[in-house]
Amino acid sequence: MKKNITLSVKDLKKKIGRKEIIKGLSFDLREGEVFGFLGPNGAGKTTTIRMLVGLIKPTSGTIHIGGYNIEAQFSEAMKNLGCIVENPELYPFLSGYNNLLHFARMLEGIGEERIHEVTKLAGLTERIHDKVKTYSLGMRQRLGIAQALLGNPKVLILDEPTNGLDPAGIREMREFIRFLAEKEGLSVLVSSHLLSEIQQLCDRVAIISKGRIITTDTVENLLSNRERVQWVMNPSEKGKQVLRELTKVEEREDGTVLTEFDEQGTPLWNKRLVEAGVSVLEMNRKMPVLEDLFLELTGGETID
Amino acid sequence: MTKLVQNEMLKLIAKKRLIVIGIIIGVLVILFTYAQYKETETQRKKLGTSDWRTILQQQIVDTTNRLSSSRISDEWKKQLQISLQQKQYYLDHDINPAEPGAPTFIRIFLENSIDLFIPLMVMVIASDLVSSEHSMGTVKLLLTRPVKRWKILLSKYITLCLAVSLIIAIAGILSYLISGTVFGYKGWGAPILTGFNITDEGLSTSDVRLLSLWEFLLMDLGLVWFVAIVVGTLSFMLSVLIRSTAAGMGVMLAALISGAILSNMVSSWESAKYFFMVNLRLTDYMKGSAPPIEGMNLSFSMMVLLVWWAAALIVSFVVFTKRDVY
Amino acid sequence: MVRLVTIIAALFFLLWLAGLGWAVSEYYAGKQDQVPKASEQKIEKAENKKGLTVVALGDSLTRGTGDETGKGYVGVLVDELKEKTKQPVQLTNLGINGQRSDQLRNQVGQTEVQRQIHKADVIVVTIGGNDLFRGGQGIIEFKNEDLTGIQTKYLENIKAIFEQIRNHNQNANVFFIGLYNPFIELGEGKEMSKVVRQWNYQSAEVSAAFPKIVFVPTFDLFELKVNDYLYSDKFHPNTKGYRLIAERVASLITW
Repeated sequence: MKKNITLSVKDLKKKIGRKEIIKGLSFDLREGEVFGFLGPNGAGKTTTIRMLVGLIKPTSGTIHIGGYNIEAQFSEAMKNLGCIVENPELYPFLSGYNNLLHFARMLEGIGEERIHEVTKLAGLTERIHDKVKTYSLGMRQRLGIAQALLGNPKVLILDEPTNGLDPAGIREMREFIRFLAEKEGLSVLVSSHLLSEIQQLCDRVAIISKGRIITTDTVENLLSNRERVQWVMNPSEKGKQVLRELTKVEEREDGTVLTEFDEQGTPLWNKRLVEAGVSVLEMNRKMPVLEDLFLELTGGETID
Repeated sequence: MTKLVQNEMLKLIAKKRLIVIGIIIGVLVILFTYAQYKETETQRKKLGTSDWRTILQQQIVDTTNRLSSSRISDEWKKQLQISLQQKQYYLDHDINPAEPGAPTFIRIFLENSIDLFIPLMVMVIASDLVSSEHSMGTVKLLLTRPVKRWKILLSKYITLCLAVSLIIAIAGILSYLISGTVFGYKGWGAPILTGFNITDEGLSTSDVRLLSLWEFLLMDLGLVWFVAIVVGTLSFMLSVLIRSTAAGMGVMLAALISGAILSNMVSSWESAKYFFMVNLRLTDYMKGSAPPIEGMNLSFSMMVLLVWWAAALIVSFVVFTKRDVY
Repeated sequence: MVRLVTIIAALFFLLWLAGLGWAVSEYYAGKQDQVPKASEQKIEKAENKKGLTVVALGDSLTRGTGDETGKGYVGVLVDELKEKTKQPVQLTNLGINGQRSDQLRNQVGQTEVQRQIHKADVIVVTIGGNDLFRGGQGIIEFKNEDLTGIQTKYLENIKAIFEQIRNHNQNANVFFIGLYNPFIELGEGKEMSKVVRQWNYQSAEVSAAFPKIVFVPTFDLFELKVNDYLYSDKFHPNTKGYRLIAERVASLITW
């Protein structure tokens, strides 16, 4: 079931001065998928996103949104795009409603009805006539999304959407984004520097470092075989010895031991340990951290 | 485009800038009215009369006596001579150059505020029209909508022109209403002379024409408006170029003030006449006082201002449409 | 609200644009289309006068040059009149530094000056010092021959001036202040004094020919201690000197 491509990026490059910041990115977004854009700060995520939304002109390469070239057919391409770049900066001195009205006026055929619709969708109906400066960060974020959705876009680009939100807000946002992709059929591009967030939110992910895409894959593929188990044992020396015979063991400075996660293997190893008279105090499944993933994918290249 | 302009007007009004400007103008007009009132009072006390002819005659004699002093510079002497001839002409034709009343106050107010005060007010709006979008970060939303960048900038520029028109209107209306309480609301039909030409020999009165004050005022307002538009466009350009509103305002303010200073001392530096800031006093040409640099006249000043205006507009649009937004 | 403001602003935009266009066309077009008519109306009576109106005509003495207080004899005179009459006194001082008799003759030809003369109750005139001494140079170029020529002109001029004054005001008392000799203590002071006396005599004769024009001598005031009464330029009177002249004129004014 190949779905339509909504956003297509080919060999995108950007030079600032003599320095090449983005060194040839290519990827596609399909209908109804949440695409993660993962990389440490300074990897070029923001620059790429600004090129996608037309704020920065690429040095070379093409961007198509909804089939329209963003440079040649700017207006048509932008009709298919909703975005929040960095923080959702709206006019603080206007009410939420006036903000939406302001941006609705910049779109063709978007009237009051749609404004009410997105207001409801973002759950802002009660406060919509208050000034934005009285809003909490979460409300601003939601208003930003409401604004992005005004024009019924096919593609939604969200730069660090959970930045600065509390855990409840993050969860709410995550559910909302999933809802938009699954129920409304939007393609959502989400950038983040947090692996856990991308993991919980995205279908596919591109990992970017130093202006290059290192890999693009589904989240499952990327993370499988990369989970670890952390063991805390007593006596730990003996435990290590037992484990070493069974699998590859990584010793940590705090005296704990890391092994790979294997659905069949792990319970078995535990049993062996117990048989050998080692008490297992803790056994934690550990998500791979971005740093480790990077180390692996880049073969030793640090994030810096 | 109307929708975009509506957007900009919405933001302008929500920011309450026009109200602030209205208040500033109001306060200043009250001050000027009081000062003017005091001045006429003391004059009356000193001369023991409120008869304008006597006062004007006295001014003529005083100026003549000042001219005989050897300590005044040639430049100043020439300006005095021109104003002297002009006063004499008014007196000879039995026309009061400053018919008491609110309309005359407006005229004097406009003549004195054309090169600094009104441009300053315009700057308050123009200098953050674009840069505030940058500092608020809203430019990122504005430019990612399906509207071409030049249209967005044009809507902002149109809004600036509208705001300038409003500021001039506010200045005119407020000064009429406020000064009228002291000087009376009459005097629209008072005669006033225009068409004095400054030649090498001094003042030429061969083209002098008689106008009603309301006609003269409308022309004055038109000229003030033109100056305000040009200054507004320049600060608009700075607002596009410099992301910091304060820095843009600083640059513009420095230019305006240097203009006021330069006007008083550039008479020997001829090429200074191509600066926009020494060409702002357009109403002086209507009134017929000596220009800061010899050879300047209304068409010259307007041409200079037009060139600056066009350049600023071109730079604004080119930069705004081409520039990467970070 | 927004719409309303926008529409109003747009209307003003058009109005100011029209004003600008008009200003430009008015500035260039209409060469001599209507030259304003010089006012024909003759000096109207106007102004219900309160108190005394004094008009001062003449040269730097009328101006008060040399008086540190800036009043000059005219100022002191007005002060004294105020005191004496207990009435407001309106002064119009039309004195111009360095003015000679021919220039004053021109000045009294001006409509407005005539109007001022017309309104006056008292007119005081000082003129001649610059004709005779040419701003203090007289001492150097002092020659009898050209002086007679200058004197004739001078007398003609003051006659014309008096005629003008009487033409426009039959009732005012006119006080014509005579000349003094500031150079009396210098080398050619004696000869100079002779000329000054001659001029004073002739102008007194001219004054006498008109009704209510009084010649006020000042020669004697400065005759003995001239340097006590002169300003540092040794030409104009100082504060004390002006006071002497003012007192003399004041004593002549009756009310």
